[in-house]
Amino acid sequence: MRLTKNVKQVIILLAFVFPAILFYFVFVLAPTFGGVWYSLTNWNGLNPTYNLVGFSNYIEALTDDPYFLDSIWFTLKYVIFMVVLANFIAILLAVLIETQKRGKVWFRTIFFMPNMISLIIGGFMWMFIFTKVLPYIAENTIFHFLDQSWIGDTRFSFYTILILSLWSGVGYLMVIYIAALQGVPQQMKEAAAIDGANGIQTFLNVTLPMIYPALTIGLFVTLNNSFKVFEAVYALTGGGPGRATQVIALNIYEEAFMMSSRYGYASAKAMILFMIVFIVTLIQLWIMKRREVEA
Amino acid sequence: MKKALNLGIIFVMLVVLATACGSNNNINVTETTGEKNTPAATPDAPAAEPQKVELKVFMSYPQYKDVFEAYFEQFKAKQLAENNMDVTINVEMPNSDQAKQILDTRLATNDAPDLFTIHANDLPKYYNAGYLSDLSDQAAINSLFEPVKNTVTYDGKVVLLPFESSTWGYLYNKKIFADNGLTPPNTLDEMNVVVEKLKAANIAPFQLAFQESWVPQLMTAQALGSIVSSKNPDWITKMTAGEASYNDVAAIFDIIDLINANGTAKPFEVGNEAGAADFANGKSAMWVQGPWNADAILKVNPNFEIGVAALPVSNDPKDTMINLSTSTSLALSPTSKNKEVALDLLNYILDEQDSSALFEELKFNPISTVHNFEVKPWVKESSAYVADGQAYQDLSLPNGVTDEQAKLLQGYYAKSVTKEQFIETMDKAWAAAVKATAGN
Repeated sequence: MRLTKNVKQVIILLAFVFPAILFYFVFVLAPTFGGVWYSLTNWNGLNPTYNLVGFSNYIEALTDDPYFLDSIWFTLKYVIFMVVLANFIAILLAVLIETQKRGKVWFRTIFFMPNMISLIIGGFMWMFIFTKVLPYIAENTIFHFLDQSWIGDTRFSFYTILILSLWSGVGYLMVIYIAALQGVPQQMKEAAAIDGANGIQTFLNVTLPMIYPALTIGLFVTLNNSFKVFEAVYALTGGGPGRATQVIALNIYEEAFMMSSRYGYASAKAMILFMIVFIVTLIQLWIMKRREVEA
Repeated sequence: MKKALNLGIIFVMLVVLATACGSNNNINVTETTGEKNTPAATPDAPAAEPQKVELKVFMSYPQYKDVFEAYFEQFKAKQLAENNMDVTINVEMPNSDQAKQILDTRLATNDAPDLFTIHANDLPKYYNAGYLSDLSDQAAINSLFEPVKNTVTYDGKVVLLPFESSTWGYLYNKKIFADNGLTPPNTLDEMNVVVEKLKAANIAPFQLAFQESWVPQLMTAQALGSIVSSKNPDWITKMTAGEASYNDVAAIFDIIDLINANGTAKPFEVGNEAGAADFANGKSAMWVQGPWNADAILKVNPNFEIGVAALPVSNDPKDTMINLSTSTSLALSPTSKNKEVALDLLNYILDEQDSSALFEELKFNPISTVHNFEVKPWVKESSAYVADGQAYQDLSLPNGVTDEQAKLLQGYYAKSVTKEQFIETMDKAWAAAVKATAGN
């Protein structure tokens, strides 16, 4: 059988992508379908038998679980702070690095390195800083305000988690923005300068609209990951004290593997998280894609 | 040429994929942290070929790996000599925080080990799922002390062999107490006096290490245990039936408030290890913890004198009792293919000649009549309470309840949860836990 050139190319493409698709299917898609199935049951993760309970898990999660709703609000607060701060700092860093004449690569590397460290390891590092280093500095210098219970006090633990996530995540976004900035044509910026625009005006009216696609990606990535935050919180506070810093993912984890091990119920909550992230990112992409076309 | 090259690359990738998948399976089965295959002893006499048996043993004791491996070698030698059986024991010893997950996955996928350890508090959950066998007529069980046997009896049957049994209340620094002329108090008023004297000597009365939520939960384990066992013996059955409330035992807050108010600073930044280090270095005089932390404490300060005393919860000295509990215990899987040999190994754990040496090396409490070794001074101290009758069996609370108590206690200390909220939430949590276990 003589395969046409097109079909052959498609087959070759599929063959190269096959291993990745296989892993994706086995480790991501199949468990997702499993999760959907279990969310309709009351399995406790251990018993060989369980019953189908339909949508009662979903209804219970949304109406009769104050801890879950609290965790949604807390995560929402975290997401808003994270999205705004991460992108702002990333753009700031990208612009600063791009305006450097020398040492661009050096700075890029330095700021990207935290992203390469696993969040759990980073969490332990920052835990050490917050619990041992800062109190020591506070005792031996004039900065006494550093002597707080950074992890244990609910007022501060939110900010410690934010600091850890920013430290880790900004590098990744910064690289995206640097790439976008490098695509802004120099003539436009010169033209704006000739017309009498200063640095900030140039940035806001010329550069920013041109890096809009990168902004879409940056916002999308931060939104997506912030809703699912787990390692940062787990490593630093474990959701504590009590449930003060419990995010959705941690709430689901504890429901499934600790407490009463209600695996089916936790799967339902995980599906709800999926729907939240799905809808939010859909809306975000739709809004920004529309504006992109106009820009 | 290009076509051949492309096909060749695809072929190589598929082969790599297949071998990676294949070895993945092997890794999953044999390699969880700290597992080791003990090779079978080769018989040198060409007499009757010994029967080969393979046992899978799952234990969450990675810190005692060498001790158990040596013990199993003794067992294998004995089996070879007495029954001409060549036993290979595949021991799996994951870390304690992964052990439960791995075991649960094994059980749920019908890949149960022959023998496995679980926490005795989880007994009802595993029994209701059908993963435990009845061990009531085994020789080892019959040699157990009565109070210890009661901790692993459920539904009229003994379904676990206890390993680690503890008598505990709170730990105290014998040296600090001696230096300040203090003796373990028997009532709340006496405890107040002790606390005042320690504060006057500039020593933090209680060690607070609330970062890991199971540590503050020990306070309720003690307080609830004493109050329920002495004043409200049928509180648990009534709670399960929905006829009681945490309000009935609100007296637990007396001692909890006392401990919270007179403890070390910044408890949420101190985990169990850090707490043990601080306690061993004399930063505090008392710690609501058990002798299972003895190793951690002695590692930091080998000259530390550990004292164990019963925690007073009221002004009635009869309420001050020591807690007798069993934690890690051994179970036999009903789907084991080598029940005979597995039972032999189970019984060998409490073997008349060899068990004392094992338990002494593990620093576990003696639990059976076959044990005749010298116990540590703090074990003697706490066993005196038991001999006096001032002891109770650790309460068997639903899992979800213990975890919820742990979280709420953290919040209670952080003042984000009031006493009334605590009581209300715990009542709800108990009802939910009952529903969750009943639902299956």
